[in-house]
Amino acid sequence: MNEQKGVCFFAYNNEQLDYVKMAILASKYVKENLKLPVCLITDEGSDNWLSQTHSKELIEDSFDYIVITNDEMKPNHRRHYDSPWSEFAAQFNNSNKHKIYEYSPFEQTLLLDIDYIVKTDVLLKYFDGDSPVCMFDNALSVRNELPSPQERVLYDAGIKMWWSTVVYFDRSNFSKLFFDTWAHVADNYAFYQYLYNFPSRLFRTDYCVSIAVHILSGMQDTQTHLHIGNFDDTSLVNVSQKDDIIETHGLNEWIIIAHDQKETWKNILVKVDKQDIHVMNKRALERMLPGLMEEFDV
Amino acid sequence: MDERLEKALEFSNYALTINNQKRNIRNRVAQLQIVHYAGGVFIANHETISFIKTLIDMKHKKSIIIDSKNNPITVKSLNELLEKLMDAYTSATTEFDIENEKIKKSRNIKKIMDW
Repeated sequence: MNEQKGVCFFAYNNEQLDYVKMAILASKYVKENLKLPVCLITDEGSDNWLSQTHSKELIEDSFDYIVITNDEMKPNHRRHYDSPWSEFAAQFNNSNKHKIYEYSPFEQTLLLDIDYIVKTDVLLKYFDGDSPVCMFDNALSVRNELPSPQERVLYDAGIKMWWSTVVYFDRSNFSKLFFDTWAHVADNYAFYQYLYNFPSRLFRTDYCVSIAVHILSGMQDTQTHLHIGNFDDTSLVNVSQKDDIIETHGLNEWIIIAHDQKETWKNILVKVDKQDIHVMNKRALERMLPGLMEEFDV
Repeated sequence: MDERLEKALEFSNYALTINNQKRNIRNRVAQLQIVHYAGGVFIANHETISFIKTLIDMKHKKSIIIDSKNNPITVKSLNELLEKLMDAYTSATTEFDIENEKIKKSRNIKKIMDW
């Protein structure tokens, strides 16, 4: 019998970003605020790096389970920004994310991206909710602005975008159907790109889940789905790749310099407190990591 | 730069920052007002609380209530739901009040950021 409730993270390092290190920080926040066991899903290389760079105690303290995968990853070059003025590219290994249904050791799983920082216990209530699958279907920047049109719909006249950053699911038949549909879309990505007309060569799991939801909704862009929850219409809050974290006070109070989407040189300061956030600028997260780990007494 | 314009732009930036912080707090408060009960989703606002209280005052113990997702929910204990709604409402408004007071006292961006 699997453990009942828990949180999973996928983390595959590349030559630019140490995902497993960021997963430790994300796990610390989960344990602090959700008090749930955490499972790291990674590959042998990243796991070896984790063991070489962190103590056994810290690894055991951060992860209750470690699942090693050896899936073949699709070439997926992603461009990252660190503020509007700096950018780099790296391989992004995400083509096996739908396999979480197979890899998770939990009956009820919350799958989080390693750059999703849990600062509240809000997500706990969805473990007791009625929806077998939950994801965000809308997002806001820390400036309370909507994302660019390409991140609201798959193309100008396209279907609504759902975000795979946070996925809650249980072991129901519907959840299995959802992940099987996601796998089918991932396996036939080029066909669905042609059919749904979404841009970019980047393999995005957000597109896969959006199409899976659309198919399972009777090919309609429904406001409410019988089986898929949207975290009660709340928004995924994104710290964009072009924003920067400039200071943290304790664990929860973060001061962010947030850019204007149209005039990127114009910034305002935003204080984010008691708010779960998706930190898309991973370099910024890496810069803050040592100080935050100290706050956790690590 | 003309000193008058410099001051105006400084105030403009302050207003932008403070309004954004207020929206952040309102988002947080809205999240705290969400109550999951008996498979339904209820918003702990004046309307829901008053309606449930009215049913209780009319001697109803249980009822079918349409939740915020427009689904009919069988509520077996109206008193229990009312208690949960009041708890959520109180914690949301308390947090709102604390944060709002902090913002009201902040006369510049440094104060808003607690620097």
